[in-house]
Amino acid sequence: MALVSLEVVGKTYRGRSGAYEAVRDFSLELAEGEFFCLLGTSGCGKTTVLNMLAGFEAPTAGRITLDGRPVSKPAAERGVVFQGTDSLYDWLNARDNIAFGLRLAGVGRAERRAVAERFLALVGLAGAGDKHPAELSGGMKQRIQIARALANNPRMLLMDEPFGALDAMTRNILQAELTRIWQEARKTVLFITHDIEEACALATRIGVMKRGPGGTLKTVVPVDLPFPRDRTSDAFMAIFRHVHAAIREEIVAV
Amino acid sequence: MRERVKIVAGYLAGFALLFLVWHLAAVFVVKSALFPSPIPVFVRAQWLIEENILQEQVWASLRRILQGFALGTALGIPIGLAIGSFKPVRVLLEPWTEFFRFIPAVAMITVAVIWFGIGEESKIFLIAYTTIFVIIISTAAGVGAVERNKIRAAQALGASRFQVFALVALPATVPFILTGMRLAMANSFVTIVAAELIASNDGLGKMLWDARLFMEINDIFVALVALGLLGFATDRCFRLAIRAFAGRYNPTM
Ligand SMILES: Nc1ncnc2c1ncn2[C@@H]1O[C@H](COP(=O)(O)OP(=O)(O)O)[C@@H](O)[C@H]1O
Ligand SMILES: [Mg+2]
Repeated sequence: MALVSLEVVGKTYRGRSGAYEAVRDFSLELAEGEFFCLLGTSGCGKTTVLNMLAGFEAPTAGRITLDGRPVSKPAAERGVVFQGTDSLYDWLNARDNIAFGLRLAGVGRAERRAVAERFLALVGLAGAGDKHPAELSGGMKQRIQIARALANNPRMLLMDEPFGALDAMTRNILQAELTRIWQEARKTVLFITHDIEEACALATRIGVMKRGPGGTLKTVVPVDLPFPRDRTSDAFMAIFRHVHAAIREEIVAV
Repeated sequence: MRERVKIVAGYLAGFALLFLVWHLAAVFVVKSALFPSPIPVFVRAQWLIEENILQEQVWASLRRILQGFALGTALGIPIGLAIGSFKPVRVLLEPWTEFFRFIPAVAMITVAVIWFGIGEESKIFLIAYTTIFVIIISTAAGVGAVERNKIRAAQALGASRFQVFALVALPATVPFILTGMRLAMANSFVTIVAAELIASNDGLGKMLWDARLFMEINDIFVALVALGLLGFATDRCFRLAIRAFAGRYNPTM
């Protein structure tokens, strides 16, 4: 059975300027342990899908379940890594940010510290535990966000363009790191991006979205390439071209 | 550390320049007995200090400020948090804050004296009155300004409503509260002088009033300089405290 299932999910925002149907008839099943990249142009409804799966916003149509139980509000089983870095707690150092979920669960100080150190090391920041977010670079802050979500031991990880604001070099490094972390932590990941190469490098499957209004899944492309991936290989290029063709129609269609 | 020495040296030079300009203006421009140069003022201040008179007036004013300020802050923070967190509370109390905000403490002196007499209570009431609305408004604004993703991150880590409030909204609001306190402290100086000018037996405001009655022009200037220095020192202390508390995570404080 699938870990996560979205059944003909839809979301219509109602505001002062009228109703806007951001997502329509969105259906998807995620298997345990897979790394699913949701790819689409800006404004097609990617974040909306993630917010519904996270439980931040309720769908206006359809059903979302995890392990067969309906998703209705945010919970520790669904960890989130946000698009910007403003979700980190400025008043806590890196270690306490990472251990925040454990603190919420009432875990003792010594164990929190031990777990935080382990996840600091996992994201390559051993020794930076005493630093506050203001003292860290953009890439380091995203590493802290990833560690914070993982330290809480969720069933799955939801990531919303986590590397979108980083320079190309840092982004490449973090992509490689994320693959390693995913293989070590064995989590199911839903990863949102608008970067085709990023999707091809990370995903076990890529879902290409149709642009909105009524954003929905257009095709799903399996990526059966071993990790670490060689971005110059013919097989990688072939998948890149395939995905590129699918998304090009969405860009040209504007 | 070197940076700090430089700042202190700069401040001292700035004050020296201020007194120099004052001296030049008094001696060469105004040339009036009603505008003394800093020299007789300092001589007079020295005498007032030796007689322990100046200290008493300064302490009388400062004590009132600190007591009223503490009271206003202690009441203002929880009210501000409640207004910022719960819409019904905000709707209910907004008329209060928006109503009293436009009645300055100075306008309340009369009723304060009628209610509490000429002693300490009326001054503490007035300072608390000055303080509380600034604190309420900045605290409530701080709660409203907490980034949505900070709250969502906590929810996705399993936080209850109370945990979101205590561990996210509250600490995120601290810089706003501290900034509000600093503003309120500055306002307190205005209020205390006005209150002591009109109704008091001691304090820097009373000293100003008496000096005018007896045409002790030097005393007036001693009181003015004391006020300026006291306010400056208090504000610096505040800034240092804010830095020590919040500086590591908020470099703008
Ligand atoms: N709270 C909201 N109210 C109204 N419209 C919204 C809201 N959130 C998103 N939208 C609209 O829904 C569409 C999809 O947004 P989003 O999911 O953020 O896109 P993406 O993440 O793919 O760039 C956009 O057109 C956006 O303007
Ligand atoms: Mg988005």
